[in-house]
Amino acid sequence: MNVGQDIIDSTKEVFSTMLMIELEVVEVIEGRGGDIPANITSMIGLGKDIRGMLAVHCPAAVAKGITGTFLGMEVEEIGEDVKDAIGEIANMVAGNLKVSFAEAGKDIELAIPTTIIGESFRTSGMSGAQRVVVQFSMNDDLFMIELKFR
Amino acid sequence: MGKNVLLVDDSSTMRKIIGRSLRQAGLDFDNIFEAGDGIEALEVLEKEDIDIVLSDINMPNMDGISFLREKSTRDGIKDIPVLMISTETGDDIIGEAKSLGAVGAIKKPFTPDKVNEVLGPLL
Repeated sequence: MNVGQDIIDSTKEVFSTMLMIELEVVEVIEGRGGDIPANITSMIGLGKDIRGMLAVHCPAAVAKGITGTFLGMEVEEIGEDVKDAIGEIANMVAGNLKVSFAEAGKDIELAIPTTIIGESFRTSGMSGAQRVVVQFSMNDDLFMIELKFR
Repeated sequence: MGKNVLLVDDSSTMRKIIGRSLRQAGLDFDNIFEAGDGIEALEVLEKEDIDIVLSDINMPNMDGISFLREKSTRDGIKDIPVLMISTETGDDIIGEAKSLGAVGAIKKPFTPDKVNEVLGPLL
């Protein structure tokens, strides 16, 4: 199973189907932590055969762009609609990854998304966990999908 | 069309997207009702004349499976069809939903065409 490619395929399908946006992959990063340059992050816990977390990290411009496209309106501030929309992106990407893991014989359960607002935070935790981060470009703005699991 | 639909999802954004997809698919309901979980959905079903329900599975308070189970015990609403619309696609959970009366399932992400393909024949 190529987890990085599965994240790419899962995320691209969500954006092309629900937002009519074709994403470009900028970079796939494996195995190292670091600062996350994001204003809004939505996380979903994974359980059962695979334990970990999937996170969508977005700067404000991307988060507002996604929400505006979802709702068909201009979005000017990071509010409940934005938190809700990024949570749904995380939910759908995780749902697609669940299918990929199932095809590899791993059954996973998804929690309900949790969304936080902040700036430049660092993630840590779970010793021995694998970490894969994919950076995407959406209309020249960057955002990241991070998967930590073991 | 003269029909009413109830959208059940804890995400208000997703409820708006589904509502828009129904319109884009040419499925013009008279009224689109919304609920944020199974508990709210049961309240709407008891009060309003709903023809079909589109429900998520993973929701707080009362999830889609518990909603189906509770609905199946209430005489006045148990025969209203429910279509699941969820990231959950596993045979086990969809099978459980169908055993509790769900008439089908749509996987998120979805297109208006997919909504029409699955929902259209049920109306």
